[in-house]
Amino acid sequence: MSSLRLPIETDHLVLRPFERGDLEAVCRYHVLPTVQRYVERPTRYHEDVAKVISIMRDQVELHRPGDTLTLAMVRKGDHALVGQVSLRWSDATASQGELRFAIDPAESGKGYLTQALTALIDLAFDHFRIHRLMVRCDGRSHHSVKLMQKLGLRLEAHYREHALFQGEWDEELHFALLDREWRPSAQVVDLPVRGRVA
Amino acid sequence: MALHPDYPLLTARLRLRPFTRGDVDAVHAYRGREDVARYLFDPPLSRDECALAIQQRSTQTGFLEEGDRIVLAVEKRDDEGIVGEVSLIWRSVEARQGELGWIFHPDHHGRGYATEATNAMLDLGFGPADLHRIFARCDARNVPSWRLMERLGMRREAHFREHARFKGEWDEEFYYAILRDEWLSLRHSG
Repeated sequence: MSSLRLPIETDHLVLRPFERGDLEAVCRYHVLPTVQRYVERPTRYHEDVAKVISIMRDQVELHRPGDTLTLAMVRKGDHALVGQVSLRWSDATASQGELRFAIDPAESGKGYLTQALTALIDLAFDHFRIHRLMVRCDGRSHHSVKLMQKLGLRLEAHYREHALFQGEWDEELHFALLDREWRPSAQVVDLPVRGRVA
Repeated sequence: MALHPDYPLLTARLRLRPFTRGDVDAVHAYRGREDVARYLFDPPLSRDECALAIQQRSTQTGFLEEGDRIVLAVEKRDDEGIVGEVSLIWRSVEARQGELGWIFHPDHHGRGYATEATNAMLDLGFGPADLHRIFARCDARNVPSWRLMERLGMRREAHFREHARFKGEWDEEFYYAILRDEWLSLRHSG
């Protein structure tokens, strides 16, 4: 596998690794209750976010299963950091990956996540040779559900009250996408046929 | 909650009781079969492996902490032979989650024994064990298995495609679940 080339450009965004100087920009959306509502580990204060950024700054390649690649979504033009996307290589034997994302609510509805996730899905299937991608989201998160449907992911699981999440019974949805279900890559044409390592 | 039921558990036609050392041959009669093992995680078991499994099961009769399992032999009340086995695993203490499982000898399929025995395990899980949700899973090709879950009133919650490798192939797996409220309304509607 050739090494990963960053940053990645989409129509309106540059996807790049996080930097120390991103703290203020990330805090602007990360600590908001509407974002905190759906995150696994709460980051309610600046120091929590600083810790998260120091972790995310190291998430720049997928070398072994369990590794995560996290990229900041930076708008071309004004260089505003509007959100983040990540790809976790969860299993090598079955080539499984998981996507996660968060966006500044003030910047949602502009198609940024669609662009960023499309680029990340291309990367997962074309570059990292992932066989199946999955996304978990809270059943109440209607924006996420719509986004998954728009990207063409299938609803694979709808768990009801299978765990406690932030002190309440959860409702969790799993969406998934197999490599052969994804549209032909927009960025790589005439992809050479390569044997997949199952 | 912690649970140490009084055995045997009785249903209309069946007796559910802990395994004993004398059960090795009866268990090997079905766990040794290729057709029984097809959709199980384990391959067909040798007689020695069955003996070892039964040794473990002699202590798997109650819930004390997360991960504990209750595995019971299922017999006909009017007959000594084992027709199969049922299990309940305490998956989460905090969220009161349990996982239901069963394996029956093919000679005894089609008589409603699995339905009767697994219903008794749901009653144990939602009754004395005070669980909030019980789930079960199976290979999507194992039609009798998910038909049984539907008869039990469980809902299909997940349909995973190629999310793992299973015995050298891509797997396809169903998850079914039932909540305590759903179980209560089933029992009260008769």
